[in-house]
Amino acid sequence: MTLALARKFPGTPLEDAVRRYPDVPRLIILKTDVQRRGVHYTEEAVSYLDPEKHQTTGTHIFGARDGVIALRPESLLLRDGTSIITTPTPLEENPYVVDLRDGRPWLFDAGVALEEVDYWPAPAFYGKDSSSGVPMKNIVSARPQRLNIFPYRYCTFWNNGKGCAFCDIVTQLKKGSKELKIPARLDPVEVGAVIGEALKEEGRFSTVFLTSGSIIGGSRPFDDEIDYYIAILKEVGKNFRTPKFPSQLIGTAFEKEQLKRLYAETGLTSYTSDIEVLNEELFNQHCPGKAEWIGYREWKKRLVDAVEIFGPGRVNTGLVAGIELAGPHGFRSEDEALERTLAEAEDLARQGVSTVLIVWSPRPDTALGAYKNASLDYYIRLARGLHALRVKYRLPIEHDSYRNCGNHPDTDLSRLLPLWEE
Amino acid sequence: MSEDLRNAIGSLLKEPATVASIATLDENGAPVSVPSPFLRLDADGRLVHLELLETSATHRNLLRSIWFERPVSVTVAGSDNRVLVTTGRTYKALVSGPLFSEYYREVRARLGDADLAAVWLIEPEQIRDETYAVRKEREEALHPFHLHLDRLAVRHADTP
Repeated sequence: MTLALARKFPGTPLEDAVRRYPDVPRLIILKTDVQRRGVHYTEEAVSYLDPEKHQTTGTHIFGARDGVIALRPESLLLRDGTSIITTPTPLEENPYVVDLRDGRPWLFDAGVALEEVDYWPAPAFYGKDSSSGVPMKNIVSARPQRLNIFPYRYCTFWNNGKGCAFCDIVTQLKKGSKELKIPARLDPVEVGAVIGEALKEEGRFSTVFLTSGSIIGGSRPFDDEIDYYIAILKEVGKNFRTPKFPSQLIGTAFEKEQLKRLYAETGLTSYTSDIEVLNEELFNQHCPGKAEWIGYREWKKRLVDAVEIFGPGRVNTGLVAGIELAGPHGFRSEDEALERTLAEAEDLARQGVSTVLIVWSPRPDTALGAYKNASLDYYIRLARGLHALRVKYRLPIEHDSYRNCGNHPDTDLSRLLPLWEE
Repeated sequence: MSEDLRNAIGSLLKEPATVASIATLDENGAPVSVPSPFLRLDADGRLVHLELLETSATHRNLLRSIWFERPVSVTVAGSDNRVLVTTGRTYKALVSGPLFSEYYREVRARLGDADLAAVWLIEPEQIRDETYAVRKEREEALHPFHLHLDRLAVRHADTP
Protein backbone atom coordinates (compact mmCIF):
# COMPACT_ATOMS: atom_id res chain seq x y z
CA MET A 1 0.00 0.00 0.00
CA THR A 2 1.52 3.28 -1.03
CA LEU A 3 1.23 6.39 1.06
CA ALA A 4 -0.51 8.08 -1.83
CA LEU A 5 -3.31 5.53 -1.77
CA ALA A 6 -3.53 5.51 1.99
CA ARG A 7 -4.09 9.25 1.95
CA LYS A 8 -7.06 8.75 -0.34
CA PHE A 9 -9.11 7.18 2.40
CA PRO A 10 -7.66 8.47 5.66
CA GLY A 11 -9.05 7.09 8.83
CA THR A 12 -11.27 4.29 7.51
CA PRO A 13 -10.96 1.06 9.49
CA LEU A 14 -9.73 -0.64 6.33
CA GLU A 15 -6.87 1.76 5.73
CA ASP A 16 -5.93 1.72 9.41
CA ALA A 17 -5.62 -2.07 9.20
CA VAL A 18 -3.64 -1.82 5.95
CA ARG A 19 -1.11 0.37 7.75
CA ARG A 20 -0.85 -2.11 10.62
CA TYR A 21 -0.28 -5.09 8.29
CA PRO A 22 1.84 -3.89 5.34
CA ASP A 23 2.68 -7.49 4.41
CA VAL A 24 -0.98 -8.39 3.85
CA PRO A 25 -2.61 -7.20 0.61
CA ARG A 26 -5.17 -4.44 1.03
CA LEU A 27 -7.64 -6.38 -1.12
CA ILE A 28 -7.41 -9.42 1.16
CA ILE A 29 -7.88 -7.28 4.26
CA LEU A 30 -10.92 -5.73 2.62
CA LYS A 31 -12.30 -9.13 1.67
CA THR A 32 -11.82 -10.37 5.22
CA ASP A 33 -13.58 -7.38 6.72
CA VAL A 34 -16.47 -7.59 4.29
CA GLN A 35 -16.90 -11.23 5.22
CA ARG A 36 -16.70 -10.23 8.87
CA ARG A 37 -19.18 -7.36 8.77
CA GLY A 38 -21.37 -8.47 5.87
CA VAL A 39 -22.86 -6.30 3.15
CA HIS A 40 -25.95 -4.29 2.48
CA TYR A 41 -27.05 -3.77 -1.12
CA THR A 42 -28.72 -0.46 -1.84
CA GLU A 43 -31.76 -0.38 -4.09
CA GLU A 44 -29.53 0.97 -6.87
CA ALA A 45 -27.09 -1.90 -6.39
CA VAL A 46 -29.92 -4.40 -6.59
CA SER A 47 -31.34 -2.67 -9.66
CA TYR A 48 -27.95 -3.11 -11.39
CA LEU A 49 -28.41 -6.86 -10.98
CA ASP A 50 -29.32 -8.59 -14.24
CA PRO A 51 -30.20 -12.28 -13.76
CA GLU A 52 -29.24 -12.88 -17.38
CA LYS A 53 -25.71 -11.70 -16.68
CA HIS A 54 -25.23 -12.10 -12.94
CA GLN A 55 -25.68 -14.84 -10.42
CA THR A 56 -28.45 -14.11 -8.00
CA THR A 57 -28.87 -15.61 -4.53
CA GLY A 58 -29.99 -19.16 -4.90
CA THR A 59 -29.18 -22.56 -3.54
CA HIS A 60 -27.51 -21.62 -0.30
CA ILE A 61 -27.02 -24.56 1.98
CA PHE A 62 -26.69 -21.98 4.77
CA GLY A 63 -28.84 -18.91 5.33
CA ALA A 64 -28.23 -15.16 5.01
CA ARG A 65 -27.29 -13.06 8.00
CA ASP A 66 -30.45 -11.01 7.73
CA GLY A 67 -32.56 -14.18 7.51
CA VAL A 68 -34.14 -13.07 4.24
CA ILE A 69 -34.40 -14.92 0.95
CA ALA A 70 -34.63 -12.31 -1.79
CA LEU A 71 -33.20 -11.57 -5.22
CA ARG A 72 -29.71 -10.18 -4.55
CA PRO A 73 -26.23 -10.65 -5.98
CA GLU A 74 -24.89 -14.07 -5.08
CA SER A 75 -21.54 -12.53 -4.11
CA LEU A 76 -18.74 -10.28 -5.24
CA LEU A 77 -15.48 -10.42 -7.18
CA LEU A 78 -12.56 -8.13 -6.42
CA ARG A 79 -10.06 -6.74 -8.94
CA ASP A 80 -7.49 -9.41 -8.13
CA GLY A 81 -9.88 -12.22 -9.07
CA THR A 82 -10.65 -13.18 -5.49
CA SER A 83 -14.20 -13.66 -4.38
CA ILE A 84 -15.86 -12.18 -1.37
CA ILE A 85 -18.35 -14.73 -0.16
CA THR A 86 -20.54 -12.74 2.13
CA THR A 87 -24.11 -12.46 3.20
CA PRO A 88 -26.59 -9.60 3.27
CA THR A 89 -26.58 -8.16 6.77
CA PRO A 90 -28.99 -5.77 8.52
CA LEU A 91 -27.87 -2.13 8.31
CA GLU A 92 -27.96 -1.74 12.10
CA GLU A 93 -25.07 -4.25 12.29
CA ASN A 94 -22.80 -1.82 10.38
CA PRO A 95 -22.10 -3.81 7.21
CA TYR A 96 -20.21 -2.52 4.19
CA VAL A 97 -22.53 -1.05 1.60
CA VAL A 98 -22.63 -1.96 -2.07
CA ASP A 99 -23.84 0.99 -4.10
CA LEU A 100 -23.32 2.33 -7.60
CA ARG A 101 -20.60 4.82 -8.50
CA ASP A 102 -20.43 6.08 -12.06
CA GLY A 103 -22.88 3.33 -12.95
CA ARG A 104 -20.75 0.50 -11.51
CA PRO A 105 -21.00 -1.37 -8.20
CA TRP A 106 -18.54 -0.31 -5.50
CA LEU A 107 -17.95 -1.16 -1.89
CA PHE A 108 -18.49 1.75 0.50
CA ASP A 109 -17.76 2.19 4.19
CA ALA A 110 -19.20 5.18 6.02
CA GLY A 111 -19.85 6.82 2.67
CA VAL A 112 -16.28 6.38 1.43
CA ALA A 113 -15.93 4.51 -1.88
CA LEU A 114 -13.27 1.85 -1.33
CA GLU A 115 -13.18 -0.55 -4.24
CA GLU A 116 -15.08 -1.40 -7.36
CA VAL A 117 -16.53 -4.90 -7.42
CA ASP A 118 -18.13 -7.19 -9.93
CA TYR A 119 -21.15 -9.37 -9.33
CA TRP A 120 -20.47 -13.01 -10.06
CA PRO A 121 -21.22 -13.81 -13.70
CA ALA A 122 -24.14 -16.13 -14.36
CA PRO A 123 -23.17 -19.46 -15.88
CA ALA A 124 -24.79 -20.46 -19.16
CA PHE A 125 -26.63 -23.47 -17.72
CA TYR A 126 -28.55 -21.36 -15.18
CA GLY A 127 -31.27 -20.62 -17.68
CA LYS A 128 -32.01 -24.29 -18.35
CA ASP A 129 -34.19 -26.96 -16.73
CA SER A 130 -33.24 -30.55 -15.94
CA SER A 131 -34.98 -33.53 -17.57
CA SER A 132 -37.38 -33.65 -14.61
CA GLY A 133 -38.22 -29.96 -15.02
CA VAL A 134 -36.21 -28.61 -12.07
CA PRO A 135 -34.20 -25.45 -12.83
CA MET A 136 -30.62 -26.64 -13.24
CA LYS A 137 -29.40 -23.93 -10.90
CA ASN A 138 -31.37 -25.65 -8.13
CA ILE A 139 -29.38 -28.85 -8.70
CA VAL A 140 -25.89 -27.50 -9.31
CA SER A 141 -24.85 -23.97 -8.41
CA ALA A 142 -21.74 -22.04 -9.30
CA ARG A 143 -19.02 -19.80 -8.06
CA PRO A 144 -16.87 -17.87 -10.52
CA GLN A 145 -14.75 -20.94 -11.24
CA ARG A 146 -16.41 -23.75 -9.30
CA LEU A 147 -19.41 -26.06 -9.68
CA ASN A 148 -21.22 -26.69 -6.39
CA ILE A 149 -23.23 -29.79 -5.65
CA PHE A 150 -25.20 -29.75 -2.40
CA PRO A 151 -26.91 -33.11 -2.80
CA TYR A 152 -28.44 -33.55 0.65
CA ARG A 153 -29.64 -30.48 2.44
CA TYR A 154 -30.07 -32.01 5.84
CA CYS A 155 -27.70 -33.12 8.58
CA THR A 156 -28.66 -36.11 10.66
CA PHE A 157 -26.80 -34.74 13.68
CA TRP A 158 -29.94 -32.66 14.08
CA ASN A 159 -32.08 -35.81 14.61
CA ASN A 160 -31.41 -35.65 18.34
CA GLY A 161 -30.81 -31.90 18.39
CA LYS A 162 -27.04 -32.12 18.23
CA GLY A 163 -26.37 -29.97 15.21
CA CYS A 164 -23.47 -27.52 15.28
CA ALA A 165 -24.09 -24.33 17.25
CA PHE A 166 -23.28 -22.01 14.32
CA CYS A 167 -25.19 -23.98 11.66
CA ASP A 168 -28.62 -23.25 10.18
CA ILE A 169 -28.68 -25.98 7.54
CA VAL A 170 -32.03 -27.38 8.68
CA THR A 171 -33.72 -23.98 8.90
CA GLN A 172 -32.40 -23.15 5.47
CA LEU A 173 -33.59 -26.50 4.11
CA LYS A 174 -37.11 -25.68 5.16
CA LYS A 175 -36.91 -22.24 3.59
CA GLY A 176 -35.26 -23.67 0.49
CA SER A 177 -37.94 -26.30 -0.02
CA LYS A 178 -40.78 -23.85 0.54
CA GLU A 179 -39.53 -20.68 -1.09
CA LEU A 180 -37.04 -21.86 -3.70
CA LYS A 181 -38.41 -25.34 -4.49
CA ILE A 182 -35.00 -26.93 -4.14
CA PRO A 183 -35.07 -30.74 -3.83
CA ALA A 184 -33.89 -31.90 -0.39
CA ARG A 185 -32.08 -34.88 -1.90
CA LEU A 186 -30.72 -34.84 -5.44
CA ASP A 187 -30.84 -37.66 -7.95
CA PRO A 188 -27.22 -38.58 -8.87
CA VAL A 189 -28.11 -39.15 -12.53
CA GLU A 190 -29.69 -35.74 -12.76
CA VAL A 191 -26.65 -34.17 -11.07
CA GLY A 192 -24.38 -35.82 -13.62
CA ALA A 193 -26.50 -34.51 -16.47
CA VAL A 194 -26.41 -30.94 -15.16
CA ILE A 195 -22.63 -31.09 -14.74
CA GLY A 196 -22.42 -32.25 -18.36
CA GLU A 197 -24.45 -29.24 -19.43
CA ALA A 198 -22.31 -26.89 -17.33
CA LEU A 199 -19.09 -28.17 -18.91
CA LYS A 200 -20.30 -27.02 -22.31
CA GLU A 201 -19.39 -23.49 -21.24
CA GLU A 202 -15.75 -23.11 -22.21
CA GLY A 203 -13.32 -21.48 -19.83
CA ARG A 204 -15.66 -21.24 -16.89
CA PHE A 205 -15.11 -23.97 -14.33
CA SER A 206 -11.94 -25.37 -12.80
CA THR A 207 -13.32 -27.70 -10.14
CA VAL A 208 -16.30 -29.74 -8.98
CA PHE A 209 -17.25 -29.34 -5.35
CA LEU A 210 -19.51 -31.57 -3.33
CA THR A 211 -20.82 -31.27 0.21
CA SER A 212 -23.86 -32.19 2.22
CA GLY A 213 -24.90 -32.56 5.79
CA SER A 214 -23.65 -35.63 7.65
CA ILE A 215 -25.62 -38.87 7.19
CA ILE A 216 -25.06 -41.23 10.10
CA GLY A 217 -26.82 -44.30 8.62
CA GLY A 218 -25.30 -47.45 7.11
CA SER A 219 -23.61 -50.71 8.16
CA ARG A 220 -20.84 -48.57 9.61
CA PRO A 221 -21.76 -45.04 10.65
CA PHE A 222 -21.67 -42.75 7.62
CA ASP A 223 -21.64 -45.58 5.06
CA ASP A 224 -24.84 -44.09 3.63
CA GLU A 225 -23.10 -40.73 3.20
CA ILE A 226 -20.15 -42.40 1.47
CA ASP A 227 -22.42 -44.47 -0.79
CA TYR A 228 -24.32 -41.36 -1.80
CA TYR A 229 -21.17 -39.38 -2.59
CA ILE A 230 -19.80 -42.27 -4.61
CA ALA A 231 -23.04 -42.54 -6.59
CA ILE A 232 -22.94 -38.83 -7.39
CA LEU A 233 -19.23 -38.67 -8.18
CA LYS A 234 -19.56 -41.65 -10.52
CA GLU A 235 -22.27 -39.85 -12.46
CA VAL A 236 -20.22 -36.65 -12.49
CA GLY A 237 -17.16 -38.63 -13.61
CA LYS A 238 -18.95 -39.84 -16.73
CA ASN A 239 -18.46 -36.32 -18.10
CA PHE A 240 -14.65 -36.55 -18.04
CA ARG A 241 -12.14 -38.31 -20.26
CA THR A 242 -9.76 -38.81 -17.35
CA PRO A 243 -10.35 -41.12 -14.38
CA LYS A 244 -9.57 -38.29 -11.96
CA PHE A 245 -10.72 -34.70 -12.25
CA PRO A 246 -10.12 -31.57 -10.13
CA SER A 247 -12.60 -31.92 -7.31
CA GLN A 248 -13.15 -31.38 -3.61
CA LEU A 249 -15.45 -33.09 -1.16
CA ILE A 250 -16.27 -31.65 2.22
CA GLY A 251 -17.62 -34.57 4.20
CA THR A 252 -17.71 -36.05 7.65
CA ALA A 253 -14.44 -37.46 9.03
CA PHE A 254 -14.60 -40.93 7.54
CA GLU A 255 -12.80 -44.13 8.52
CA LYS A 256 -9.80 -45.08 6.45
CA GLU A 257 -11.62 -47.90 4.65
CA GLN A 258 -14.42 -45.52 3.73
CA LEU A 259 -11.91 -42.99 2.40
CA LYS A 260 -10.18 -45.68 0.36
CA ARG A 261 -13.49 -46.52 -1.30
CA LEU A 262 -14.20 -42.87 -1.95
CA TYR A 263 -10.83 -42.40 -3.61
CA ALA A 264 -10.71 -45.70 -5.51
CA GLU A 265 -14.23 -45.69 -6.89
CA THR A 266 -14.49 -42.07 -7.99
CA GLY A 267 -12.56 -39.28 -9.67
CA LEU A 268 -12.26 -37.33 -6.43
CA THR A 269 -8.86 -35.65 -5.95
CA SER A 270 -9.08 -33.88 -2.59
CA TYR A 271 -10.78 -34.25 0.74
CA THR A 272 -11.84 -31.79 3.39
CA SER A 273 -13.41 -32.56 6.71
CA ASP A 274 -14.21 -29.55 8.82
CA ILE A 275 -13.32 -29.77 12.49
CA GLU A 276 -14.76 -26.24 12.86
CA VAL A 277 -12.79 -25.31 16.00
CA LEU A 278 -9.34 -26.43 17.14
CA ASN A 279 -9.97 -27.10 20.80
CA GLU A 280 -11.46 -30.26 22.24
CA GLU A 281 -13.70 -28.64 24.86
CA LEU A 282 -15.07 -26.09 22.43
CA PHE A 283 -15.55 -28.78 19.78
CA ASN A 284 -17.60 -30.81 22.25
CA GLN A 285 -19.72 -27.76 23.05
CA HIS A 286 -20.23 -26.35 19.59
CA CYS A 287 -20.30 -29.57 17.58
CA PRO A 288 -22.11 -32.06 19.83
CA GLY A 289 -23.15 -34.34 16.96
CA LYS A 290 -19.59 -34.63 15.67
CA ALA A 291 -18.42 -35.24 19.23
CA GLU A 292 -21.04 -37.92 19.83
CA TRP A 293 -20.45 -39.89 16.65
CA ILE A 294 -16.72 -39.44 16.08
CA GLY A 295 -15.02 -37.41 18.77
CA TYR A 296 -12.38 -34.71 18.57
CA ARG A 297 -9.23 -36.82 18.68
CA GLU A 298 -10.63 -39.40 16.29
CA TRP A 299 -11.64 -36.60 13.91
CA LYS A 300 -8.05 -35.40 13.80
CA LYS A 301 -6.71 -38.93 13.41
CA ARG A 302 -8.99 -39.52 10.43
CA LEU A 303 -7.77 -36.31 8.79
CA VAL A 304 -4.20 -37.52 9.12
CA ASP A 305 -5.18 -40.95 7.80
CA ALA A 306 -6.68 -39.26 4.74
CA VAL A 307 -3.27 -37.86 3.79
CA GLU A 308 -2.10 -41.41 3.06
CA ILE A 309 -4.89 -41.74 0.54
CA PHE A 310 -5.20 -38.31 -1.06
CA GLY A 311 -1.64 -37.11 -0.53
CA PRO A 312 -0.07 -34.16 1.32
CA GLY A 313 -1.58 -30.87 0.28
CA ARG A 314 -4.80 -32.58 -0.79
CA VAL A 315 -6.38 -32.89 2.65
CA ASN A 316 -7.50 -30.05 4.85
CA THR A 317 -9.87 -29.01 7.56
CA GLY A 318 -11.88 -25.85 8.01
CA LEU A 319 -12.44 -23.55 10.97
CA VAL A 320 -15.49 -21.39 11.56
CA ALA A 321 -13.12 -18.79 12.86
CA GLY A 322 -14.49 -16.68 15.65
CA ILE A 323 -16.68 -19.24 17.41
CA GLU A 324 -13.69 -20.09 19.62
CA LEU A 325 -14.16 -16.66 21.21
CA ALA A 326 -17.94 -16.75 21.47
CA GLY A 327 -19.99 -17.48 24.55
CA PRO A 328 -19.12 -17.95 28.19
CA HIS A 329 -16.73 -20.84 27.54
CA GLY A 330 -14.79 -19.27 24.66
CA PHE A 331 -11.16 -18.25 24.90
CA ARG A 332 -10.76 -15.19 27.07
CA SER A 333 -8.65 -13.22 24.63
CA GLU A 334 -7.85 -13.16 20.94
CA ASP A 335 -4.16 -13.64 21.75
CA GLU A 336 -4.93 -16.85 23.61
CA ALA A 337 -7.27 -18.04 20.83
CA LEU A 338 -4.58 -17.43 18.22
CA GLU A 339 -1.85 -19.13 20.16
CA ARG A 340 -3.87 -22.24 20.92
CA THR A 341 -5.54 -22.51 17.51
CA LEU A 342 -2.27 -22.13 15.61
CA ALA A 343 -0.53 -24.63 17.89
CA GLU A 344 -3.10 -27.28 17.03
CA ALA A 345 -3.07 -26.29 13.35
CA GLU A 346 0.70 -26.74 13.38
CA ASP A 347 0.33 -30.23 14.76
CA LEU A 348 -1.95 -31.07 11.83
CA ALA A 349 0.29 -29.32 9.30
CA ARG A 350 3.28 -31.31 10.51
CA GLN A 351 1.29 -34.42 9.53
CA GLY A 352 0.29 -33.10 6.09
CA VAL A 353 -3.12 -31.63 6.91
CA SER A 354 -3.76 -27.98 6.10
CA THR A 355 -6.11 -25.82 8.12
CA VAL A 356 -8.15 -23.06 6.47
CA LEU A 357 -10.47 -20.50 7.98
CA ILE A 358 -13.80 -19.09 7.08
CA VAL A 359 -14.87 -15.90 8.75
CA TRP A 360 -17.78 -16.81 10.99
CA SER A 361 -21.04 -15.08 10.06
CA PRO A 362 -23.35 -15.32 13.06
CA ARG A 363 -26.70 -16.30 11.60
CA PRO A 364 -30.01 -15.55 13.29
CA ASP A 365 -31.37 -19.11 13.43
CA THR A 366 -28.42 -20.60 15.28
CA ALA A 367 -27.43 -21.21 18.89
CA LEU A 368 -24.53 -18.75 18.56
CA GLY A 369 -26.53 -16.25 16.52
CA ALA A 370 -26.60 -13.64 19.28
CA TYR A 371 -22.81 -13.40 19.54
CA LYS A 372 -20.44 -11.29 17.49
CA ASN A 373 -17.54 -12.57 15.44
CA ALA A 374 -13.94 -11.60 16.15
CA SER A 375 -12.00 -8.44 15.33
CA LEU A 376 -10.50 -7.76 11.91
CA ASP A 377 -7.03 -7.94 13.47
CA TYR A 378 -7.79 -11.42 14.74
CA TYR A 379 -8.78 -12.68 11.30
CA ILE A 380 -5.75 -11.09 9.65
CA ARG A 381 -3.40 -12.59 12.22
CA LEU A 382 -5.05 -16.00 11.96
CA ALA A 383 -4.86 -15.92 8.14
CA ARG A 384 -1.18 -14.97 8.33
CA GLY A 385 -0.53 -17.73 10.85
CA LEU A 386 -2.21 -20.45 8.80
CA HIS A 387 -0.42 -19.26 5.68
CA ALA A 388 2.91 -19.34 7.52
CA LEU A 389 2.29 -22.96 8.49
CA ARG A 390 1.78 -23.86 4.84
CA VAL A 391 5.08 -22.21 4.01
CA LYS A 392 6.86 -23.92 6.92
CA TYR A 393 5.53 -27.40 6.12
CA ARG A 394 5.51 -26.97 2.33
CA LEU A 395 1.80 -27.62 1.99
CA PRO A 396 0.13 -26.48 -1.22
CA ILE A 397 -3.57 -25.66 -0.93
CA GLU A 398 -4.53 -25.49 -4.59
CA HIS A 399 -7.71 -27.55 -4.16
CA ASP A 400 -9.10 -24.94 -1.75
CA SER A 401 -7.66 -21.84 -3.41
CA TYR A 402 -9.18 -18.61 -4.70
CA ARG A 403 -10.07 -20.43 -7.93
CA ASN A 404 -11.52 -23.55 -6.40
CA CYS A 405 -13.23 -22.03 -3.38
CA GLY A 406 -12.68 -18.35 -2.68
CA ASN A 407 -13.91 -18.38 0.91
CA HIS A 408 -10.59 -18.41 2.78
CA PRO A 409 -8.47 -15.26 3.18
CA ASP A 410 -5.56 -17.46 4.28
CA THR A 411 -5.55 -19.49 1.08
CA ASP A 412 -5.71 -16.26 -0.93
CA LEU A 413 -2.31 -15.49 0.58
CA SER A 414 -1.13 -18.86 -0.71
CA ARG A 415 -1.39 -17.57 -4.27
CA LEU A 416 2.19 -16.46 -3.73
CA LEU A 417 3.42 -19.64 -2.07
CA PRO A 418 6.90 -20.69 -3.15
CA LEU A 419 7.01 -23.20 -6.00
CA TRP A 420 8.81 -25.91 -4.10
CA GLU A 421 9.13 -28.21 -7.07
CA GLU A 422 11.29 -25.70 -8.96
CA MET B 1 0.26 10.79 -21.37
CA SER B 2 0.31 11.23 -25.12
CA GLU B 3 -2.82 10.04 -26.90
CA ASP B 4 -0.73 9.80 -30.07
CA LEU B 5 1.57 7.28 -28.45
CA ARG B 6 -1.35 5.32 -27.04
CA ASN B 7 -2.88 5.19 -30.51
CA ALA B 8 0.50 4.21 -31.93
CA ILE B 9 0.61 1.23 -29.59
CA GLY B 10 -2.84 0.21 -30.76
CA SER B 11 -1.73 0.44 -34.37
CA LEU B 12 1.49 -1.49 -33.77
CA LEU B 13 -0.37 -4.27 -31.98
CA LYS B 14 -2.60 -4.75 -34.98
CA GLU B 15 0.40 -5.68 -37.12
CA PRO B 16 1.22 -9.39 -37.09
CA ALA B 17 4.99 -8.81 -37.10
CA THR B 18 4.92 -6.74 -33.91
CA VAL B 19 6.63 -8.30 -30.89
CA ALA B 20 5.49 -7.49 -27.34
CA SER B 21 6.96 -8.31 -23.97
CA ILE B 22 5.96 -7.69 -20.37
CA ALA B 23 8.33 -7.03 -17.48
CA THR B 24 7.34 -7.51 -13.86
CA LEU B 25 9.12 -7.43 -10.49
CA ASP B 26 9.55 -10.49 -8.30
CA GLU B 27 9.48 -10.51 -4.50
CA ASN B 28 13.11 -9.40 -4.36
CA GLY B 29 12.56 -6.59 -6.83
CA ALA B 30 14.33 -8.43 -9.64
CA PRO B 31 12.83 -7.87 -13.10
CA VAL B 32 11.30 -10.75 -15.06
CA SER B 33 10.61 -10.14 -18.74
CA VAL B 34 8.74 -12.54 -21.02
CA PRO B 35 7.00 -12.36 -24.40
CA SER B 36 3.34 -11.34 -24.39
CA PRO B 37 2.12 -12.82 -27.66
CA PHE B 38 -1.57 -11.97 -27.16
CA LEU B 39 -1.08 -8.37 -26.04
CA ARG B 40 -3.65 -5.82 -27.20
CA LEU B 41 -5.21 -2.50 -26.29
CA ASP B 42 -8.83 -2.52 -25.14
CA ALA B 43 -11.52 0.07 -25.80
CA ASP B 44 -10.70 1.84 -22.51
CA GLY B 45 -7.05 2.27 -23.46
CA ARG B 46 -5.80 -0.48 -21.14
CA LEU B 47 -3.26 -3.05 -22.17
CA VAL B 48 -4.61 -6.60 -22.10
CA HIS B 49 -2.10 -9.33 -21.25
CA LEU B 50 -3.22 -12.96 -21.36
CA GLU B 51 -1.46 -15.15 -18.81
CA LEU B 52 -1.72 -18.82 -19.57
CA LEU B 53 -0.23 -20.42 -16.46
CA GLU B 54 -1.38 -19.90 -12.88
CA THR B 55 2.06 -20.48 -11.36
CA SER B 56 4.17 -18.64 -13.93
CA ALA B 57 6.56 -16.04 -12.54
CA THR B 58 4.80 -13.31 -14.49
CA HIS B 59 1.34 -14.25 -13.23
CA ARG B 60 2.52 -14.23 -9.65
CA ASN B 61 4.37 -10.97 -10.16
CA LEU B 62 1.28 -9.39 -11.70
CA LEU B 63 -0.64 -10.46 -8.62
CA ARG B 64 2.10 -8.93 -6.47
CA SER B 65 1.74 -5.80 -8.54
CA ILE B 66 -2.00 -5.45 -7.92
CA TRP B 67 -1.59 -6.35 -4.23
CA PHE B 68 1.38 -4.15 -3.39
CA GLU B 69 1.22 -1.39 -5.99
CA ARG B 70 4.29 -2.39 -7.97
CA PRO B 71 4.77 -1.08 -11.51
CA VAL B 72 4.88 -3.22 -14.62
CA SER B 73 6.37 -2.43 -17.99
CA VAL B 74 5.29 -3.46 -21.47
CA THR B 75 7.47 -3.14 -24.56
CA VAL B 76 6.04 -3.19 -28.08
CA ALA B 77 8.45 -3.43 -31.02
CA GLY B 78 7.24 -3.10 -34.61
CA SER B 79 8.81 -4.45 -37.76
CA ASP B 80 9.68 -0.87 -38.76
CA ASN B 81 12.01 -0.66 -35.72
CA ARG B 82 9.54 1.45 -33.78
CA VAL B 83 9.71 0.66 -30.06
CA LEU B 84 7.19 1.92 -27.50
CA VAL B 85 7.60 1.25 -23.79
CA THR B 86 4.68 1.58 -21.38
CA THR B 87 4.93 1.65 -17.63
CA GLY B 88 1.75 1.20 -15.68
CA ARG B 89 -0.19 -0.50 -12.93
CA THR B 90 -2.20 -3.67 -12.94
CA TYR B 91 -5.84 -2.69 -12.77
CA LYS B 92 -7.68 -5.98 -12.80
CA ALA B 93 -7.42 -9.74 -13.27
CA LEU B 94 -10.42 -11.24 -15.03
CA VAL B 95 -10.85 -14.90 -14.13
CA SER B 96 -14.46 -15.56 -15.09
CA GLY B 97 -17.22 -14.16 -17.23
CA PRO B 98 -17.95 -13.49 -20.89
CA LEU B 99 -14.77 -11.55 -21.68
CA PHE B 100 -12.58 -14.17 -20.03
CA SER B 101 -14.35 -16.92 -21.99
CA GLU B 102 -13.87 -15.01 -25.22
CA TYR B 103 -10.11 -14.81 -24.69
CA TYR B 104 -10.02 -18.43 -23.52
CA ARG B 105 -11.54 -19.51 -26.82
CA GLU B 106 -9.09 -17.34 -28.75
CA VAL B 107 -6.08 -18.82 -26.95
CA ARG B 108 -7.28 -22.33 -27.65
CA ALA B 109 -8.02 -21.51 -31.27
CA ARG B 110 -4.41 -20.38 -31.69
CA LEU B 111 -2.55 -22.84 -29.48
CA GLY B 112 -4.73 -25.93 -29.39
CA ASP B 113 -5.10 -27.56 -25.98
CA ALA B 114 -4.02 -24.57 -23.90
CA ASP B 115 -5.45 -22.97 -20.79
CA LEU B 116 -5.85 -19.39 -19.61
CA ALA B 117 -5.17 -18.39 -16.01
CA ALA B 118 -6.22 -14.76 -16.15
CA VAL B 119 -6.80 -11.78 -18.38
CA TRP B 120 -4.72 -8.97 -16.90
CA LEU B 121 -5.72 -5.39 -17.56
CA ILE B 122 -2.90 -2.86 -17.22
CA GLU B 123 -3.52 0.85 -16.84
CA PRO B 124 -0.77 2.76 -18.70
CA GLU B 125 0.71 5.64 -16.73
CA GLN B 126 3.53 6.62 -19.06
CA ILE B 127 4.42 5.73 -22.64
CA ARG B 128 7.90 6.41 -23.96
CA ASP B 129 8.98 6.28 -27.57
CA GLU B 130 12.17 4.21 -27.41
CA THR B 131 12.57 3.92 -31.17
CA TYR B 132 16.32 4.12 -31.80
CA ALA B 133 16.15 6.74 -34.52
CA VAL B 134 13.96 8.98 -32.38
CA ARG B 135 16.10 8.50 -29.27
CA LYS B 136 19.33 9.07 -31.24
CA GLU B 137 18.10 12.38 -32.57
CA ARG B 138 17.06 13.54 -29.09
CA GLU B 139 20.29 12.29 -27.54
CA GLU B 140 22.46 14.19 -30.00
CA ALA B 141 20.42 17.35 -29.64
CA LEU B 142 20.17 17.37 -25.87
CA HIS B 143 23.36 15.60 -24.73
CA PRO B 144 26.19 16.56 -27.07
CA PHE B 145 28.83 15.69 -24.47
CA HIS B 146 27.97 11.99 -24.83
CA LEU B 147 29.16 11.83 -28.43
CA HIS B 148 32.43 10.23 -29.50
CA LEU B 149 34.46 12.93 -31.18
CA ASP B 150 35.50 10.80 -34.14
CA ARG B 151 31.91 10.98 -35.31
CA LEU B 152 32.34 14.76 -35.60
CA ALA B 153 35.88 14.80 -36.90
CA VAL B 154 36.86 15.98 -40.38
CA ARG B 155 37.07 12.94 -42.58
CA HIS B 156 40.30 12.60 -44.65
CA ALA B 157 40.58 10.63 -47.82
CA ASP B 158 42.52 7.86 -46.08
CA THR B 159 40.01 7.53 -43.23
CA PRO B 160 38.10 4.28 -43.58
